[in-house]
Amino acid sequence: MTTSQSSVSPSITVAEITAALTAIVAAELGVDPSSIRPDTDLRAEQGADSVKVLRTIAKVEREYDIELEDEEVFGASTVGEIANVVYRTVTAS
Amino acid sequence: MTSATAAPATETNQHYDLNPDIFGLFLDPLRKYSSGIYATPQTTLAQAQVAKLHFVADRLQVTEGARLLDVGCGWGSLVLFMARDYQARVTGISPAGRQHDYITQRVAEEGLGDRVRILTGYFEDAPIDEVPPGGFDGVSMLGSIVHMPDLGHAMSRARSLLRRGGRYYVSESCFRNAATRAKFDVGPGLAFVRKEIFGWGDMRPLSDLVEAAEDAGFSVVSVDDLTNDYWRTIEDWHANVLANADAIDAIQPGMAAILANYLEIANAGWGYTTKHYALTCKKAR
Repeated sequence: MTTSQSSVSPSITVAEITAALTAIVAAELGVDPSSIRPDTDLRAEQGADSVKVLRTIAKVEREYDIELEDEEVFGASTVGEIANVVYRTVTAS
Repeated sequence: MTSATAAPATETNQHYDLNPDIFGLFLDPLRKYSSGIYATPQTTLAQAQVAKLHFVADRLQVTEGARLLDVGCGWGSLVLFMARDYQARVTGISPAGRQHDYITQRVAEEGLGDRVRILTGYFEDAPIDEVPPGGFDGVSMLGSIVHMPDLGHAMSRARSLLRRGGRYYVSESCFRNAATRAKFDVGPGLAFVRKEIFGWGDMRPLSDLVEAAEDAGFSVVSVDDLTNDYWRTIEDWHANVLANADAIDAIQPGMAAILANYLEIANAGWGYTTKHYALTCKKAR
């Protein structure tokens, strides 16, 4: 990431967030983005530990300029779940 | 300068007993290995560490000639600073022998030998004739109580060394509450840090520190949240490790990657799982 500015547009979709999240997760885990799917369980993924999950969440919060609730940070496990949480938070703000 | 109880380089202090030159390659010029305080977005690491030392002096209400004890004194940043800038009479204690040697050299270079005394050993076991009860106006522990297994004893001893009205400053990294500690204390991130960096360490929640301070007889003066400052401090250290990785590895092969991983783990948790607090207490009676 070269900018900390939010890249959120008013008409953002869950699919767009999922795509952005997939790229972040792939970079964080050091794997190919094609190996990440919406039902990929981050906490079960090899190489994903709590530290990497937190780093992913932190990047997502910065990227979308949002603050997720604790239960979302520590509760969501799959890429799809996190994308939905981000979508709800972004569109509610 | 005296060498008190000789401490073996046990796993708890191996990291701190590494070649001091390694730390010169990523810390600030004072080699202060704890959080700075960043006043502005432009504040540098070096400025932040000096600001932090003034902050500690303020919390301890350091005056000229004050008798201070810095527990876990590292490479002497606080000891030398308080002796030089506040004309305080400072005792530092650390179990790491190479830190002792480094500070001894710095003290000689700066001509502070009449105001600085460095003890090598564990604070908990330091002999009474070296650290007399009631003999200090201020006691500081910057990131060191995390390595002391007996919290109650450490705080009771700190209080016993203070005169009436003396102050005790402790800044420490803490799990943000007991539940977070129970969940993440056994995680792979902390396991790596314990194995490769610190040895034994217990990031007790602030509530544990406050409880122990009260049980020891202290009054609490203030609590400051330095979490964001430590995040920036570690960002700066991390950037320095990456920039000087070759030089670090030349001193100790593989150390740059270990340090970088440690600093990344530390900075992932701030706010989510961990906090960094400064707790100031007073021996009110």
